[in-house]
Amino acid sequence: MLDEQTDLVVGVGEFGNTETDVRCGKAKSIAPIFKEKMPKTEKRKEESTEIEHVDRNISTFSQISHLIDAENITRLTLSHNKLTAVPPNIADLINLHTLNLWNNSIEELPPSISSLPKLRILNLGMNRLSILPRGFGSFPALEVLDLTYNNISERSLPGNFFFIQTLRALYLGDNDFEMLPGDVENLINLQILVLRENDLLTLPKELGKLSRLNELHIQGNRLTMLPTEIGYLELIGQKKTLRLEHNPWIPDIQEQFDLGGGAAVWGYIRSEKYKYLASRQEPSSTPVPPKRNKDKKISRKGIQQA
Amino acid sequence: MVCGGMDSDHHINGELAHGFENMVCVRCNDGFSMQDQMVNSSGQVWHSECFVCAQCFEPFPDGIYFEFEGRKYCEHDFHVLYAPCCGKCNEFIVGRVIKAMNASWHPQCFCCEICNRQLADIGFLRNAGRALCRECNEQEKAAGHGRYVCHKCHAMIDDGQHIKFRGDSFHPYHFKCKRCNNELTTASREVNGELYCLRCHDTMGIPICGACHRPIEERVVAALGKHWHVEHFVCSVCEKPFLGHRHYERRGLPYCEQHYHKLFGNLCFKCGEPCCGEVFQALGKTWCVKCFSCSFCDKKLDQKTKFYEFDMKPTCKRCYDRFPTELKKRISESLKDRDVENQRRSMSPAPK
Repeated sequence: MLDEQTDLVVGVGEFGNTETDVRCGKAKSIAPIFKEKMPKTEKRKEESTEIEHVDRNISTFSQISHLIDAENITRLTLSHNKLTAVPPNIADLINLHTLNLWNNSIEELPPSISSLPKLRILNLGMNRLSILPRGFGSFPALEVLDLTYNNISERSLPGNFFFIQTLRALYLGDNDFEMLPGDVENLINLQILVLRENDLLTLPKELGKLSRLNELHIQGNRLTMLPTEIGYLELIGQKKTLRLEHNPWIPDIQEQFDLGGGAAVWGYIRSEKYKYLASRQEPSSTPVPPKRNKDKKISRKGIQQA
Repeated sequence: MVCGGMDSDHHINGELAHGFENMVCVRCNDGFSMQDQMVNSSGQVWHSECFVCAQCFEPFPDGIYFEFEGRKYCEHDFHVLYAPCCGKCNEFIVGRVIKAMNASWHPQCFCCEICNRQLADIGFLRNAGRALCRECNEQEKAAGHGRYVCHKCHAMIDDGQHIKFRGDSFHPYHFKCKRCNNELTTASREVNGELYCLRCHDTMGIPICGACHRPIEERVVAALGKHWHVEHFVCSVCEKPFLGHRHYERRGLPYCEQHYHKLFGNLCFKCGEPCCGEVFQALGKTWCVKCFSCSFCDKKLDQKTKFYEFDMKPTCKRCYDRFPTELKKRISESLKDRDVENQRRSMSPAPK
């Protein structure tokens, strides 16, 4: 595991310059003085606009509600807890910009959650969601939505899901999508789309209209071909990410992928040869690849027990 | 007008005078008795009580009187009746009176309305109801016509025929080109405090603006390998001049900070604002120093913290360790595959 860690860090690249060190140094020297002067409870009050209770065995919101100053709180981080539901009065946190509920056991969300007026980052990943409430797409300011590792499919989505015009990043990895609705074209500001390890058989041609996209993760699906329109997206180059591996690609695409990865595949699907091939391809002409076995997903456990 | 004083020599006591029986007072026409005091002035005589101001009938203070049309007045009444008032300070004018602009003035009160110089001795010109000195009048006239007055000969310069030199206007023919010694025309240029004809000026390596392609004769901005007029070096999006503010370059085009970040995505992945100063760059994204944290528990990360990549998001070790075993297994398998693929690709020739 440690080997992996070093590998990843090497791949990560540049950091800020040396001036960053100076700043960090200052912050460190100030912190202890604060701690000595203020008892723990008061300190918490002082920082009450940001509440962070990570890995505290919290199973209901009522356990922390006394700490929440509804009108002033800006960030609520409750990752790695045991929450099973989000109360409707979450909508009272009118200044909340970040809500992080990563790794809980949430099965259902209140429709009121999408009325949070300032919410910009919503992390609901690693939960047990199999349905999203009606009107979920009406967030007025949401920029980053993480639904990684749930049990969501195209059938779980409310009609307005793809109308969050402010959305910059949508994380849907480790879910159960078999197709992506063409409505995705309405996410005009989308820069990041993660569909890793779903059950996708095709991608909609409307994906080609997301001109600001610079990250596309479609590895680990059941894709055999790509719509030619998707080739218009600029996904090759520095600061761009294109992940295509682990799909049952048609031999032509797989050959390009083996030769030169995403760049070669993109060159190929932009070619006249591929455009001709794609125009003749019958959707049902290739056998449907099997779904991956997801029985071991922990997001399944609740459902199996239920 | 006669202004005089009583001469004490003529102020005679009755006893000392002789032949006064024939004399009569100029004012009351009566004779003089021995007891009467007599005043003699310029060959005329008065009872001393008759020698008073024609207006207030009081004796003259200090014996000083002012005579006008045969009547004598004390100083005060004379001024009240006859002295001119100054058009500026409204006080009586005694002594030199300047009559001008339909009014009277103390000499020190009659000044140029622009430069405040006294005009009594240098003369003045009437300009739109104002009294002005010659120079100010010329300037006013020139300004009124949009014309300049030559700083050397003080004559007016015909429309558009002036040159500017060290902040003043001149006829160009007062100067010669520093380099070729020809008399200058309006098409001359000032370079480092010297004047040159246009021909000489243009052979001196004057920078040309990259935007308007004209020579730059004032402040020059050097950027993107070209020279620019300050007002022509602008953001490619909003076209506002940088005016010395920082600009950002991309593919040979300059941008202001706001539009550079807007177009080229150096916005913080977390707060969505343009990142200024120190930033973290990793995973194809940028973060403000204060915003760089684990995506799953919001724990603050710094440049020394090791983190994992998951869907190209930074993941702290604790959160990575808490991933379900089956997910970690899939991650490590795909990492292995990626390594194998990269190795194979690096050995085989690149396509095309």
